Amino acid sequence: MGTILTGIITATVFLILMGLVLAILLVLAEKKILNYGTCKISINDGNKELEVQGGASLLSLLAEKNIYIPSACGGRGSCAYCKLVVSEGGGQLSPVEEPYLTADEIKAGVRLSCQVKVRNDISIQIPEALFKIKKYRARVEHKKVLTHDILELRFKLLDPQTIDFKAGQYVQLTSETYKGRESVMRAYSISSVPSEKNYIELNVRLVPDGICTTWVFDHMKEGQEVTLSGPYGDFMLSDTSAPMICMAGGSGMAPIHSIVNHMAEMNIQRLCYYFFGAQQQRDLFYLEELRKLERDHEWFTFIPALSAEPESSGWTGFRGLVTEALAEHFDDLTGYEAYLCGSPGMVGACEKELKKFNVEEDKIYYDEFA
Amino acid sequence: MKKAPDYEKLKHRLESSKFSGSGFLGTDERPVDEIIADDLHQMEINQIDKDDLVDLLKIYYQKIRVEIGRRVRFTDNIYGEYHESMGRIPSPFIGDGVFEKGEAVIVNEKTGETFVITALAINLIEKHDFFQGKGSRYRLDPVRLFHLFDELEE
Repeated sequence: MGTILTGIITATVFLILMGLVLAILLVLAEKKILNYGTCKISINDGNKELEVQGGASLLSLLAEKNIYIPSACGGRGSCAYCKLVVSEGGGQLSPVEEPYLTADEIKAGVRLSCQVKVRNDISIQIPEALFKIKKYRARVEHKKVLTHDILELRFKLLDPQTIDFKAGQYVQLTSETYKGRESVMRAYSISSVPSEKNYIELNVRLVPDGICTTWVFDHMKEGQEVTLSGPYGDFMLSDTSAPMICMAGGSGMAPIHSIVNHMAEMNIQRLCYYFFGAQQQRDLFYLEELRKLERDHEWFTFIPALSAEPESSGWTGFRGLVTEALAEHFDDLTGYEAYLCGSPGMVGACEKELKKFNVEEDKIYYDEFA
Repeated sequence: MKKAPDYEKLKHRLESSKFSGSGFLGTDERPVDEIIADDLHQMEINQIDKDDLVDLLKIYYQKIRVEIGRRVRFTDNIYGEYHESMGRIPSPFIGDGVFEKGEAVIVNEKTGETFVITALAINLIEKHDFFQGKGSRYRLDPVRLFHLFDELEE
């Protein structure tokens, strides 16, 4: 009996030791065999070159070198924000990437940088604007209620202390973990003006069950520190003198608010009609401020449109959809540029209406993240 | 029996994640394949055609979406409203792509039933027969949906 027991114990110990040895060997082998050594990342036709330790994703290696490519999923290949052109050395397109890329993008060498593993020297193209993206530590100065479901957040930048952005651009806010929910990054347009370099203001709308917005509404406290990154995006005022139509709804107010206030500050006197869609008066905000802007500047007209305002209310402004308000004011918009911000549904409906009134497709601008 | 690794990965993606705070399983503790099999079984018993359901979901989603938040009255008791949202959400099934986040909500005032239709929910049904777990805000119970559309299409 004793001999059998000793035999079992010896065999068990032997098996555990063997397993341990095999595990160590596997780790060592992986390090040896899969050691890609130092790889070169050539950016924008050799304008910038980085030396990195191969073996990790392009997205993470760029972040190590302080080049932040927009990403919301943390490199899981599911948000498709981190697209980049890989001109050489990217390897085969993975099945994870394919559904997120159009035929034209595949042809142009666009890849999801989180799915491209750097195993050798690689050449990529990065829009110049992405080099300006930084990570910021900031303090919540205030959480101001704008409507029943929209808050204005004001952040003081702590490190770095200033930001250079263009009116219309956005930042990513990192939420903290709460109630078992993971920390996430979400994009929000900046509503303040670029001249205010030490602060950033955002308009955040509560999304039912939204991870980041629930954190902002229920958990974020004034005075606490947060992490932001940016500025991102190429939604910004063009360098022309064309007359403008701006259309927004809900928290889509933010970039347009930034743009029109920037125009006022810089004395850019382009004709600008701003149509803002909401359901009821309780959904309107910045109303007095925009009315004042309208009074002070001949070039600016603000047209709020309410789609579900009770008949009995004293609202004397436009009743109907923002698209209907546009149709009531114009029948030809040849030569105009359009700036849209809202949900994909709202942006799609506005785009369709604008094209009907002869706004050229390439003159209709909207946020990529919406 | 131990589930295959792919199944475990899928289950993980259907739970609370960076993209969906409450996940896709709700309070349902059944395995995903059982949720799917049960719904398909219920559809078979009630002679419900999935393709017809998906077609109607797409039609009503669009009817509500184009109104950008304005209430759409379908019958004396049933209305729809689009709740806008910025951004997109990826499917928990890798390779399906990303979907806009807006919600077309149909409310039956008489019964108190609410149906939250999203572009992603339609895709999950169409491609994976997955109507989501019980207790999920986004579950579209096929039998309840069938009765809703029956009333709407009368």
